[in-house]
Amino acid sequence: MSASHSHAGASSPGIGITGDTPETHNRARVSWVPYLWFAPAILVLFLVTLYPTFFVGWLSFQKTRYYDLTGFVGLANYAEVLSSAAFWSTVYVSVTYVVGSLAGAVVLGMAAALVLNNSGATGSVLRVFILFPWTLSMSVVGSIWLWLLNPSFGPIPYLMQLTGIDPGLMLGDPSLALPLIIVVTAWWSFPYVMVMATAAMQSIPKELYEAVEIDGGGPLIKFRYVTLTQILPTLGSTALTLSIMYLTLMTLIIVMTGGGPLGSTTTLSFEAFRGTVQAVNIGPTAVVSIVVLLINVALGVVYTRLTGRVTG
Amino acid sequence: MSAAVSSGRPSGRVPAILMSFLFGVIVLGPVFWALATSFKTEVEAVAVPPTLWPSKATLENYFKVFRDQSFARDLFNSVIYAVGAVALALLVGIPAGYAAARFTFKGKRALMLVILATSMVPGVALLVPTYYLLDSVGLLNSGIVVTIILSARIIPQTVWFIANFVEAVPVEIEESAFMDGANRFEIIWNLILPLIRPGIAAVATIGIVTTWNDYITVAVFAPDVAKRTLQVALVNQVFDAVGISWSYMMAFVVIASMPVILMFGLVQKWFISGLTAGAVKG
Repeated sequence: MSASHSHAGASSPGIGITGDTPETHNRARVSWVPYLWFAPAILVLFLVTLYPTFFVGWLSFQKTRYYDLTGFVGLANYAEVLSSAAFWSTVYVSVTYVVGSLAGAVVLGMAAALVLNNSGATGSVLRVFILFPWTLSMSVVGSIWLWLLNPSFGPIPYLMQLTGIDPGLMLGDPSLALPLIIVVTAWWSFPYVMVMATAAMQSIPKELYEAVEIDGGGPLIKFRYVTLTQILPTLGSTALTLSIMYLTLMTLIIVMTGGGPLGSTTTLSFEAFRGTVQAVNIGPTAVVSIVVLLINVALGVVYTRLTGRVTG
Repeated sequence: MSAAVSSGRPSGRVPAILMSFLFGVIVLGPVFWALATSFKTEVEAVAVPPTLWPSKATLENYFKVFRDQSFARDLFNSVIYAVGAVALALLVGIPAGYAAARFTFKGKRALMLVILATSMVPGVALLVPTYYLLDSVGLLNSGIVVTIILSARIIPQTVWFIANFVEAVPVEIEESAFMDGANRFEIIWNLILPLIRPGIAAVATIGIVTTWNDYITVAVFAPDVAKRTLQVALVNQVFDAVGISWSYMMAFVVIASMPVILMFGLVQKWFISGLTAGAVKG
């Protein structure tokens, strides 16, 4: 969940004390002792992450019936998935969901950062409270909003009725379900953008603003040429972190719509989940999983390049 | 934009402060509504027009949650998985993080890249293969397996954090302890761990919140009622749409979030001290 992406580069090779410690004097031991320190972590990661990653690739080439493998089929699963309209509709929903949520979270988060940064002590106190929803689980966020949006008893449809808008089926409406889930996602995640943007804004040298003032620049010029320019790298890495999170997010959709109505909220990740638990034919599900995996790794590599978190 | 611009004129802040409160309402309004509903009777919860605050606040929903026959077990599982996953992550992450910070050896970069790569593999992509593998060896519905899977999700970040914190500790401290005859294990246990305690607390807090909040891992790999967590129990209520009671569900929401709410205050403190520890580095 939160804040797990705020670490910098892991290690710099120069500062080791290798070679001149009592334990590592023996040359033969030097060669394998350091690996032992890594062995437990690598073992767990191998069993839980690496092996299943290779295995999903292998699965994607198998003909399957339920969870039974019935033979090698080459790229048939890929052909089946990539030529199905349902898959491309899933891709479309995923892209809409990620882009929509990102736009909402970044705009709200930036606005909140600017406004709170100019509110003195009030802003500092409020910032802590505004971060709160970010720590809630997706099942909790989904349950709360399911209640808020309930067409019969929820306060939001009630307010809509008061203002003369017919709330209709809300999450039960195929054209409304995805936008509503995007709103909830933005609500939950904009505080993260706010915190990251605030940290970046507070590290901008004041001289830059003074320089603009001397040249007679107003608040808009200051925002455009100092604030925005200075926090752009942070904003970029934050957006990538969120994109990865949105792409792989399932629980909110499971709770709020179950992928429906009429598949209007079925994202790639939800489809991978649905395929796993329904278990009708897992070959194509493996292909969908690999698509999610590849997009995720691509975004992750860009993130690593951007933040300079390259190790060793 | 900057504090310097408006600090001289507090009156100029009034619009900003008003808008700040608007953001506060947007964010905390839904949370408040959930809390208010949890104190209402079900009749009042679904009354039209809705009441902002219960006319007669009741704790009945909370008692109902506590009286539920599976609640204690759900809570127990949530605690055990979260604590177990974080303990395992620290157990394997501290040696790896220490080695990453202190040793230079052939293949270290490759090892760190492997750990980085595993952090990029999303859990969702591994649902199908993991389910298949666990099913074929009869390990579905195992609490230990779920704990290990949850732990693997937080191991990469644990290794990076620990490596950063250890790097911030001057090597000279360790070298002088070596002179005094301490071995590596004693140095880590008596010297390094106490020094990086704020960092470990921060890592553990984030890890517990992450695993506590998990739904997917438990729901898919341990769907058995006896193995589920509070998060899974909450979502199952949503699926049980016929018997749904909103006031009960909101009480459940509050209880299922309680540890996270409590930790939220601590995270703030530990984060600051963890970051400060890293900043001393030089």
